Amino acid sequence: MKKRFLLVVALALVAAMLVACATESTSVLDKIQKAKKVSVGTSADYPPYEYLDDAGNKTGFDIELMEEIAKRMGVELEWVDMPFDSLVAAVAGGKLDMSISCFNYDEERDKTVDFSEAYYTTEDAFVVSGAFTGTITEPEDAANYKVGVQSGTVQDGWLTDNLVTPGLLPEANLSRYERVDQAALDLANGRIEVLMGDYVPVQALVAQNPDLQIVYRGVLSTGPINIVLPDGDVELKTEVDRIIKELQAEGFIDALAVKYFSE
Amino acid sequence: MDFGQFISYIAQGTVLTIGVTLIALPSGLLIGTLLALLYVYGGKAASRIMNLYSTIFRGIPPVVLLFILFFAVSKGINLSAFWAGSLSLGVVSSAYQMEIVRGALLSVSGDQLMAARAVGLSRLHAIRYVVLPQAVRLAIPPWSNEAAIVIKDSSLVYALGVPEILRRAQLIGASSQKYLLAYLSAAVIYFLLVLLTTRLLNHLENKLAIPSNP
Repeated sequence: MKKRFLLVVALALVAAMLVACATESTSVLDKIQKAKKVSVGTSADYPPYEYLDDAGNKTGFDIELMEEIAKRMGVELEWVDMPFDSLVAAVAGGKLDMSISCFNYDEERDKTVDFSEAYYTTEDAFVVSGAFTGTITEPEDAANYKVGVQSGTVQDGWLTDNLVTPGLLPEANLSRYERVDQAALDLANGRIEVLMGDYVPVQALVAQNPDLQIVYRGVLSTGPINIVLPDGDVELKTEVDRIIKELQAEGFIDALAVKYFSE
Repeated sequence: MDFGQFISYIAQGTVLTIGVTLIALPSGLLIGTLLALLYVYGGKAASRIMNLYSTIFRGIPPVVLLFILFFAVSKGINLSAFWAGSLSLGVVSSAYQMEIVRGALLSVSGDQLMAARAVGLSRLHAIRYVVLPQAVRLAIPPWSNEAAIVIKDSSLVYALGVPEILRRAQLIGASSQKYLLAYLSAAVIYFLLVLLTTRLLNHLENKLAIPSNP
């Protein structure tokens, strides 16, 4: 997922230091409840997590999740679009109440802001068809076969960085598809031997096609994603974490994952 | 998403781009001109301070100043992203515009000031009625260059989330996966804005030219 350059961290640090002197002890949660409005930052340029639909409205996994969280907090949701690099600094500087934009936990970021409980953990999976005779015990074993992946995804990045660039997997043996279901079709037809994808959408594909099976599952390119919260604000974190756990228990988040990640 | 929708979505940011420019450029001109007058006619101490001002603000990348103003300074005075961005660009531009006006003031011969004083004008009147009118004419060509730079620098406010042309191009590029087309559309809009501005200023330069002094 997204981890960007040091400058952002440096800026966030500067902002946090300047702000630290002026921080009031009241929770942002009080402010949100008083104003009946929560202002949330996102960078709507990262489908399927956050992007614009054909009508130019924000949509995606994070967007719909946040809308539900705001609803359960009983407040109005105000979206603020900002480039990804500015989001942490904006929360640290008190410009935003929180940010949701597929943030991975990161030690440097943790110095200036807090993280909610992970609302979703993305895992990777390798899928093969019934005709597959090889073996995949380690993820690197995929380099011995023809591999398919959805282009531009974190899995595409993982395969490129770990298998193609070191010369383990010839570029010609990696097929990049616009959508993961196209890759699954080619897997069933035998044009590729292994498909790598996000576990949740891939599981949905396997459920539809009994000939396919998952042979490896684990965290390679991905990991837990969290909401970015103001530093040290226990009340707000408790409230957001409570709602996240509630939504996980109800299966709301899994349903969202299927909706957005298995097209 | 069809092509028309695409262009019209990005073009909606033009209003903000022009808005940012229309705040940054005149505020920079106002501050820059006042400071340039102080620099040239304000004595040794003033000229040292102005020199420092110019060195500092020309030495800071506009985007850094933008972040400082938005995330730090605006803690006390709650500035919106639009105003914080526009004003930072105005401050950066004022340092450049000060240098432009200073250069123009200095290129009007000092003898003229002396002659004006000799015929009985006060120092203030001599600057106001003799030097400044000539300096303004001399400043237009380099100033149109600065205007073009400010129009293009206005794209930096995207870093604060102001949905101007560049940010809109990024968003639509991401959702449609047509990045090249998105950035090309943005480039065309910027180019037209700069072209129009420099043409207008050329026209102004010709109109203001002193007839006897081709």
